[in-house]
Amino acid sequence: MTTTRELDLLQGTLDVLVLRALSWGAMHGYAVAEFIRNGSSGTFKVLDGALYTALHRMEERGWVESEWGMSEKKKRAKFYRLTAAGRRALRDETATWNDYVAAVARVMTATLETA
Amino acid sequence: MSIHRDTDAELRFHFQARIEALVEQGLSREDAVRRAHEEFGDVDAVREALRAIDRRLARRRSRLEFFESLWQDLAYAARSLRRTPVLALTIVVTLALGLGVNAAMFSLLDVIFVRPPAGVADPSGVRTIWYQAQFGAGARFAAGFDYASYLTVAKTLAGDADVTLFRQPIDRKVGHGEHAPIVTISIVAGNYFPFLGIRAQRGRLFSLDEDRVNDPRMVAVISDAFWERQFDRASDAVGAQLEIANEKYTIVGVAPRGFAGTQLNATDVWVPTSTLVRTAPPSKVPWWQNSAVNGFLIAVRPRAGVREVDLAARITAALRSETGSLGIDGHTVATLGSINYAMGPATLPPAFRVATRLAGVAIVVLLIACANVVNLLLARAARRRREIAVRIALGVSRGRLMRMLIAESVLLSLVATAAALGAAAWGGAAIRALLAPEIHFASAPMHWRVAAFAFGLAIMAGGIAGLAPALQSSASDVAGALKASALDRASRGSRLRNGLVAIQAALSVVLLVGALLFVQSLRNAQTHDVGFAVDQVVFGAVSFDTRDSLRDKAFPTRLRALERKLAAFPAVGSVAFTSMPPRAGLHQQDYTPDFDTTGRRLPVGWTIVVSPNYFATIGTRLLRGRTFTDAGPNSPLEMIVDQTMADALWPNDDPLRHCVYFPKTKSTCVPIVGVAQSTQDEMLTDKLQPHFYFSLDNPPVPTWGAAASVLRVSPNQRASVARALHDLLASEFPGGIPTIRTMAALMEPTYRPWRLGAELFTLFGVLALVVAGIGIYSSVSYAVSQRTHEFGIRVALGARTADVMRQVVSEGLRTVLLGVITGILMALAASRLVASLLYGIAPSDPATLVAVAIVLVAIAAAAAFVPAWRAAKADPVAALRAD
Repeated sequence: MTTTRELDLLQGTLDVLVLRALSWGAMHGYAVAEFIRNGSSGTFKVLDGALYTALHRMEERGWVESEWGMSEKKKRAKFYRLTAAGRRALRDETATWNDYVAAVARVMTATLETA
Repeated sequence: MSIHRDTDAELRFHFQARIEALVEQGLSREDAVRRAHEEFGDVDAVREALRAIDRRLARRRSRLEFFESLWQDLAYAARSLRRTPVLALTIVVTLALGLGVNAAMFSLLDVIFVRPPAGVADPSGVRTIWYQAQFGAGARFAAGFDYASYLTVAKTLAGDADVTLFRQPIDRKVGHGEHAPIVTISIVAGNYFPFLGIRAQRGRLFSLDEDRVNDPRMVAVISDAFWERQFDRASDAVGAQLEIANEKYTIVGVAPRGFAGTQLNATDVWVPTSTLVRTAPPSKVPWWQNSAVNGFLIAVRPRAGVREVDLAARITAALRSETGSLGIDGHTVATLGSINYAMGPATLPPAFRVATRLAGVAIVVLLIACANVVNLLLARAARRRREIAVRIALGVSRGRLMRMLIAESVLLSLVATAAALGAAAWGGAAIRALLAPEIHFASAPMHWRVAAFAFGLAIMAGGIAGLAPALQSSASDVAGALKASALDRASRGSRLRNGLVAIQAALSVVLLVGALLFVQSLRNAQTHDVGFAVDQVVFGAVSFDTRDSLRDKAFPTRLRALERKLAAFPAVGSVAFTSMPPRAGLHQQDYTPDFDTTGRRLPVGWTIVVSPNYFATIGTRLLRGRTFTDAGPNSPLEMIVDQTMADALWPNDDPLRHCVYFPKTKSTCVPIVGVAQSTQDEMLTDKLQPHFYFSLDNPPVPTWGAAASVLRVSPNQRASVARALHDLLASEFPGGIPTIRTMAALMEPTYRPWRLGAELFTLFGVLALVVAGIGIYSSVSYAVSQRTHEFGIRVALGARTADVMRQVVSEGLRTVLLGVITGILMALAASRLVASLLYGIAPSDPATLVAVAIVLVAIAAAAAFVPAWRAAKADPVAALRAD
């Protein structure tokens, strides 16, 4: 069980991951979860519940739109697709994420300089 | 699908898929379930969160959809209206007229009664003082005080209220010459601007030392509008000289934009009271003690916690202690009134009273317009019954259908509002010019509040006008409408439509009765003998606007010397001279009659000094005796009185046997040689005032002498004589400004209320009649078109043309007759409202009512005749085949 604080920290990151997953095309929530599970090879754990919350929030924000369709196994499933706003958000969030990673990396690899 | 089930299904799918995958990886079913739940987290919490998000989303979407479909409805409405442009145009014009008339009328009433003057701080806290006093014509309210009363009031209220005074703005000339620009100037106390919370936008306002009564400071503050008009907003206007009516003023500041005084008439220039030392008429008494210098309005601003009734009581007590100036006596009662002067308590000027009735008329016009629009929309909806039934059959919800129909009428009314506001802005200016031409209104004819009101009204009117047909058609049963045989259509719809036609007829009757009453009042007023030949008299005077010419004592003599030249004009019957043309003001003469006056109230001695043939020229009949002896300077001392004076002084005796003493001729009693008919110098409805006439050749008291020539001309030669008179006076008196007036122009304000009532009521009445006529025509022809089948059968069975026509016309007339009767009852009920504005005719005049009823029935018969003719000519074969 993760605490709320950890979920909050994850929020921005989770959005990028979900947007990234959907950039391959429309998919249902379970497929997004599998994409993240497989992509991270278990390095970090994302609660599936948080993922659905993120999907619905993004729909509210207009980043994704949803539609009921048939899964590969012919079951009714809710499919999510990026909107134009979602693609823009993905670009922005990716850039922010890259800056963040680079900045963290610079700090982690920096040596102490005495004045 | 509901949000609940949606969320559940999504999560169910997730768990099924995940568990299936885990089982495929080799986990037991129980382990797979447990693992899937671990990976998911708190299912219930997530489900709740998802539902909350989805609910928000759904709400926003439905709002969006509403606007989208509203847009669709409007677009659809626009398309379908474009297909019937004549109908759409008729509706727009009808509504625009109805709304425009209202917007214009209510803008005017708003300015007169409601909207406080612009720029004034806390205008509701400013009150005007009125007093009730005895005047010649009886007790009435007045607001004009002399300066002494102002000082009394200010002293009485010191500490409990701020007090200021100002004079009604008047028109004066800037500079000299016949075409010099006119300014509206107002004399105000030094504290006037701070009292109202006005700050200068340029320069400064008056200081208190410019307000000392005996120390004239010729300074002026100008309005923003005047600054723009006269100085083109030049910054050196402050400090510039302004010559108004021969006095030079230095401009010290410009009032803020929008402020134009507190009266309806916009003020251009304010000058302090101290300037009266120079501008008040010369008198031995200083102006601030002279009750003849009056017309000051007093405004007060009570301090917080001070009760108005207490203030009024204190003012009353203070005024009563004053020695009787301006009709103020021991019975005077002071009241506080609104900053909007027209709110009274004094009786409204007749033009404004007419305006309030016209506002009522405007509402009636709008009602007629609405009834007509509903009728047109109903007819349209009926024609579209099949289309609507198809839509319902195709699954369009009734709510949606109603919205579509309402959207149509709302769209129509929006277009109509735009047209109406344009019409109102133009018509508002026209109505102002018509009702009160002498007022330069400070504000624009339209105010955004009225525009917004008209807009709201339009939407409402449109919505209601659309609702009735929408309700009717959406309630229609699908199968019936699709089968839609002609016979079942003459249904509830036609009853509603007949009702609307009846309402239109009734309201038209009310307006036409009003129109006819005013037309007759006007005719009565114009044929009433006012004691002048109104259409045949032209006055010629000369005014001088430079000090040198003002001192020209020889003017009266030189003017009279022109008599021969004037009489030689073609078309001039006779020439006379007077000290004062009628309605130009009167001189009040002190006198003593030849009897003991103790205990008797003497009438005021209004005096006119005239040449011997004045009476014959102006058209005032001499009832007894003769006119003055025409012997030039050798004429004897004699006088003439009018009937009103004779009745007041010697009610039971022959006035020719009496005489009157005047201050300068104490020893001589001036004999009365003639009695003239009474003349009406004021409004027709006012009491007749008593007059003395003196001879210009030998007046018993010194007078100003001849000031104007009076010419009797044939009515159609007035214009050419006026031009010739102007040219002659201009050449004879260089430097003077010829002022030519016709008697008709001088009398115009007297007839104006009835003329306005007659013109505007007739305009609206005819308008209403046209609209009602269209309504009757469309209603009857619709009924006929719905019953083609029935008429076809009748004709086939041998009915004659006359029979069918008689039936159709009489059915149409039945509705109208009902309306006419209702209308006459309504007119009788409303008669009280206009009774005071009529002249020489009762509001329930039977001839008028009958005439209007006949006109309306005749028009209705004509309107019903055309469709009836069509019905009678119905081709039985075609009619029977149509279904």
